Amino acid sequence: MSAVPGLKEDCEELLGAFQQADTVRFERFAELWRERRFHSIFYGRVRALERNKLTKKTLDLAQQYFLPPYSFQIRVGALYLLYGLYNAQLCQPKQKIRIALKDWPEIQKFQQDLLDSQHYDATYIFRRLRLARAFHFTAMPKLLTYRRSKKKIAENPLKEEFKDPTNRVNNLITNDVLEELMNVHYHYQKMKCVISADKSQPDKALSLIKDDFVVNLKDITLEHQEWLQNRMRLFRNAKEIDKAENQKKEEALLASEGSERANALARIKYRSYSAAVEVSKSRRHRQVQLESSESGPSCGKSPSRSKKPIRRPQPARRRGSSEIGGEMQVAKETVTHHIGMPVITEEDTDEGEVSLPKRRRRR
Amino acid sequence: TEAAAPDYEAAELYTRAFRVGALGLGWRRLLGPPDLSLAAEEAAEEADAAVAGALGCALGTAAELRAVCSIDTLMSSEKEEDPNVIPEDSSLLTLRIRKKALERREEKIIVDRACRQETLTYEMESHATGKRPDNPTDLIEEGELLLTLNIFYPVIFQKHKDHKPYQTVLVLGSQKLTELRDSISCVSDLQIGGEFSSQPDQAPEHISKDLYKSAFFYFEGIFYNDKRYPECRDLSRTIIEWSESHDRGYENFRSVKMEDYVFNDLFLKIGFPYLYCHQGNCEHIIIITDIRLIHHDDCLDRNLYPLLVKKHWLCTRKCFVCKMYTARWVTNRDSLAPEDPCFFCDVCFRMLHYDAEGNKLGEFLAYPYVDPGIFN
Repeated sequence: MSAVPGLKEDCEELLGAFQQADTVRFERFAELWRERRFHSIFYGRVRALERNKLTKKTLDLAQQYFLPPYSFQIRVGALYLLYGLYNAQLCQPKQKIRIALKDWPEIQKFQQDLLDSQHYDATYIFRRLRLARAFHFTAMPKLLTYRRSKKKIAENPLKEEFKDPTNRVNNLITNDVLEELMNVHYHYQKMKCVISADKSQPDKALSLIKDDFVVNLKDITLEHQEWLQNRMRLFRNAKEIDKAENQKKEEALLASEGSERANALARIKYRSYSAAVEVSKSRRHRQVQLESSESGPSCGKSPSRSKKPIRRPQPARRRGSSEIGGEMQVAKETVTHHIGMPVITEEDTDEGEVSLPKRRRRR
Repeated sequence: TEAAAPDYEAAELYTRAFRVGALGLGWRRLLGPPDLSLAAEEAAEEADAAVAGALGCALGTAAELRAVCSIDTLMSSEKEEDPNVIPEDSSLLTLRIRKKALERREEKIIVDRACRQETLTYEMESHATGKRPDNPTDLIEEGELLLTLNIFYPVIFQKHKDHKPYQTVLVLGSQKLTELRDSISCVSDLQIGGEFSSQPDQAPEHISKDLYKSAFFYFEGIFYNDKRYPECRDLSRTIIEWSESHDRGYENFRSVKMEDYVFNDLFLKIGFPYLYCHQGNCEHIIIITDIRLIHHDDCLDRNLYPLLVKKHWLCTRKCFVCKMYTARWVTNRDSLAPEDPCFFCDVCFRMLHYDAEGNKLGEFLAYPYVDPGIFN
């Protein structure tokens, strides 16, 4: 389906303003909405058939911002936006908002977060929409018509500024996993002591791993987290990022990194992330080129490269967390058994989730 | 597994296979009575106490919420606004673009109103909206699944190369496959075999639909054959034998009876092309484009399903002589006609080919003709 011209821009402008306002209060959203007289977005001498189509597309666009990977604040904004659009529409009976079964658990979690954080207005509004039966509970978000969309390329990449600084890597391991690792490590140490001659410490012969590896892990991932956040901030403030400068920085940091293990990790990551997959002999002429672009995960790779899906190298930005180091202020921790739960405040984005950089092949 | 929600197998194109009924179960397990309700009336606005209880907030907060989050805060406008008029100074890009487009139309188009195709399309899409049956036993149940199917025409015209015409049908999860089969109107069902130049008045005994009753659906490795009548044959047998004769790379196909299955029983992918075959060789591609829970604004009368909501308009072929009526006859090797084949409406056909006593004039072969656009 072709897009409604101008709609994406208007929605992103409104959501962007909401993000700038740095709040999740509906009152503020309503102000921004009124300033723009957003309710008139359906105006114009449009006949019923066209209006139905237009409204469906509008709701479909807004709905996308309601789900991950968008940040918490954008998702709340999207909820308000859906509330406004659903009620401002001119169709009779009203066009509904589609929700796919696979997305519902995420929405439930979102609702719970809102409730736990006492964002009553957002919770109330979702409740209102639900009571009004504004949703269609579907199998998939969009209708699937097997139409090979020629506009696939033009599918604008998700607005980078709206996305959470957390990425796949962060989603891999949470506080729980680290805590688990901690426990296992502790028991491992105890076990070694038990079978050793001196019960108070393990035999030298049993020393096979670095004792403080879990702490190192946590530090590395915290650094990664901070680095990402800083990057997000930089990206937001200055869209132009000097690629060469950053590349040099990263290489310098890589060299200066002391920890042996971190180096090893970095080497592994570099190898997996920068190696382009060899295309089969028959497609030699279409070797995959490495793009070290700084843009988001869905780099606009030209699809004319190859019709077969090739494993794409990860964008350079994701390269090993261990490559940051000296410049950032990082709080290194001593061994702790309890790792604090993250607190979602209104200003910050999620900061508690740590992750283990893991070599991961993408299909 | 049964419990997993459907997801893409090929990104943005089609899902992996799942059992239709499982989707219904999946959703019903997660939702409450207000979500599933098909009551016609809107739910009354919640009392502050109810809100306070649900949100765990104070009564005063609930009252405040009601005021602050009222939709009026988004809809307010000082004066009566006409939705047909785009405000002059709008900051919205959407509106500025739309305004320009409308202005361009005003310049170029003399009369700007819905043509009959648009009216038809809109009517088909919305005529059954919200309809409720007179008989309460015909009312669709809460939690019922609604499937949207695109059934493509077998007709292949050059102009349809890139966008094959189709009709869109809504069908309920609890309906039998045979109900869908009976509802599919295809011109090949109406074909009348036989040459009738010598006896044009003889009403043909049977149309193809009555003679050739076999048909099947193919979904995910299973052929659902219509076996309701003794004349029905297993049309899929040829395919199954072909597949089994050598290692063709297909998994074992199965053949079952169409009338034993409802849509909830089926394993299928959304967005993936399947097949409906009848009349031996008339093949229609079928794609399930959507499955969702039934909603109170949908048509809730069981008897109206399968419900046709979209149909491609095909121009009918007109009589060569009068150019007015739809052709009902086609002639070959016609000494009286300027082209071969040549199409005639009933009146012109008789006037040209037969004298006042009904004697055949000239040499020709005549066949009854059913135009694909007959279902317009």
